[in-house]
Amino acid sequence: MSKLAALRSSPRVLVGGALVGTLFAVALLAPWLAPHDPNAQDLIQVLLPPVWLPGGEAEYPFGTDNLGRCVLSRLLYGARVASYVAIVASFFAMLLGTALAVVAGYFRGWVDWVIGRVVDVWMSFPPVILALVLLLAFGAGVDRVVLGIVLVGWTRFCRVLRSEVLAIGRHDFVLAARLLGFGHLRIIVREILPNTFPLIVTLISLEMGIAVIVEAILSFTGVSVEADVPTWGVMIADGRVYLNENAAPLIFPALAIFLSVLGFNLLGDGLRRVLDPRMASRRSVLA
Amino acid sequence: MIWVLLGLLWRRLLVVLPLLFVVSIVLFIVLRVLPTDPIAMLVPPNATKEDVEELRAAYGFDKPIPVQYEIWLGGALRGDLGLSTSARTSVTGLIASALPATLELVLCGIALGTLLGVGGGLVMYALRGRFAESAADVGSTVMMSLPEFLWALLFVLCLGVWVPMLPFIGRIDSSIRVPTTTGLYLIDTLAAGNFHGFLNVLSHLVLPVAALALPFAPGIMRVLRSSLFDVGNEEYVRLARLRGIGERRILLHHVMRNALLPTLSLIGVQAGFMFGGTLLVEIIFSWPGMGSLMVTAVRNQDLPLIQGIVLTYCIVVLVLNFAIDASYLALNPKLRTA
Repeated sequence: MSKLAALRSSPRVLVGGALVGTLFAVALLAPWLAPHDPNAQDLIQVLLPPVWLPGGEAEYPFGTDNLGRCVLSRLLYGARVASYVAIVASFFAMLLGTALAVVAGYFRGWVDWVIGRVVDVWMSFPPVILALVLLLAFGAGVDRVVLGIVLVGWTRFCRVLRSEVLAIGRHDFVLAARLLGFGHLRIIVREILPNTFPLIVTLISLEMGIAVIVEAILSFTGVSVEADVPTWGVMIADGRVYLNENAAPLIFPALAIFLSVLGFNLLGDGLRRVLDPRMASRRSVLA
Repeated sequence: MIWVLLGLLWRRLLVVLPLLFVVSIVLFIVLRVLPTDPIAMLVPPNATKEDVEELRAAYGFDKPIPVQYEIWLGGALRGDLGLSTSARTSVTGLIASALPATLELVLCGIALGTLLGVGGGLVMYALRGRFAESAADVGSTVMMSLPEFLWALLFVLCLGVWVPMLPFIGRIDSSIRVPTTTGLYLIDTLAAGNFHGFLNVLSHLVLPVAALALPFAPGIMRVLRSSLFDVGNEEYVRLARLRGIGERRILLHHVMRNALLPTLSLIGVQAGFMFGGTLLVEIIFSWPGMGSLMVTAVRNQDLPLIQGIVLTYCIVVLVLNFAIDASYLALNPKLRTA
């Protein structure tokens, strides 16, 4: 069975892909889908329940929050921030982590030692605490959040990929390429990187899920974005205060975070099962 | 055995002490180049320029950064982390009163999470190849996709607001007095013979600990299951089976011991993450621990306090890692001679 066919018949990839696809589609189409401006306040209709509960209004399908803002519209615009952070942060974390991992794993020796120690120092901070301190230093803003997540997330790529590159570097085809007189850059780009591709794809998918969570945590603590940017974390922080009166402004963003992260995790898990040859052999042994 | 442990401790300290030194310098520089003025938060709007300068000098913010660091390091080595600018008390004192609350939470969380994870891993291995295994697999992915703070909110909503069953504010009812000796209320109440208080502390712990443990367990479950697979295919396991030893005994006595090792290092890594993950859980449950202190410090831009808290986080993570290494050594005789 070809890999593509295997991908298409994996329920994890299908369900995960559908969830992630929905998230990205909603993010793209938010301005057309949202019934209201996400920051427009309607102070006469605050904390309305969703339309299917008694007291709900058709104008606000998911109800309103404590300032009378439309929960559905904020949710849709929140998907934009979440997708943007997930894609950009995990891409740059991948670039930084992979570059250092390849250098460390390929050249070994003192370069490997130095990079290894830097990773050690970095990982002795709990990630959320590190992101919080970095954000304090950078100031608020979506791009700063991205930068914070990149600076925290690269170690995950670096650690995992370094040992992978080490293992690939020991193969005969790398030695053969060297004997043929190929330069280091060519060996890295042509021989090593293509073999790390399955792992990179998996790690990116998982990192996107982490990015969504970290972004929510940071906006929950109130240090992440400008006040007029609707994010799921901000919605949850606002909704928590009025939990006793109306839980909807909190439940919907929580559900959105859960479904997005679930999508990324399922997709990453499914990709790993299909793309990683070691997993494949294990499954065939079991079957 | 004791010498091996001491040797490990020594080698660890050789790595950890320079590490802490570097971390503290990096942290100091990052916090001092902030675009914020910690003194501006302190003074009333009608303060004169001289007042501000006087206060700046009192906190030592007027000196060059290397000199500030020297003063700070000298104090830190004596256990004095300086003065908090927002609470105006000693940073060491603030941390000392908050740390036990977080430690109690995290240690209970690790214990429950490990219990769930190991139990789940064993069940999944026992069910291998059946439909129930795939179901449990999907279930673990779902569990993992709900971060601690969403579990916490879910619990507050369901068991605190809709069907009030368990307390969700603070560590203990304010009517109960406990003598604080260790700061770990579970131990303090028991030591005082206050059984009613012990149950009260326990009931306050249930929800936050469950919120921390549930996302912690699936990772352990998966790693344990896959290393059970690996070990289960070894020759010596087949030999045990040929000798007629029962499956349950093989699993618990022969396979489990070796399969636990990779799980243990994962617990070490994840424990560090959980320590950071308490941040929001503490805020949600109004838990007077390090996470709440950190968020207050960040909101007030209290540099000495942030510095002290982050360093404490690092030290606790390093201690946790050492404890994991030590138990690794105890479980794996192969490493002891090295």
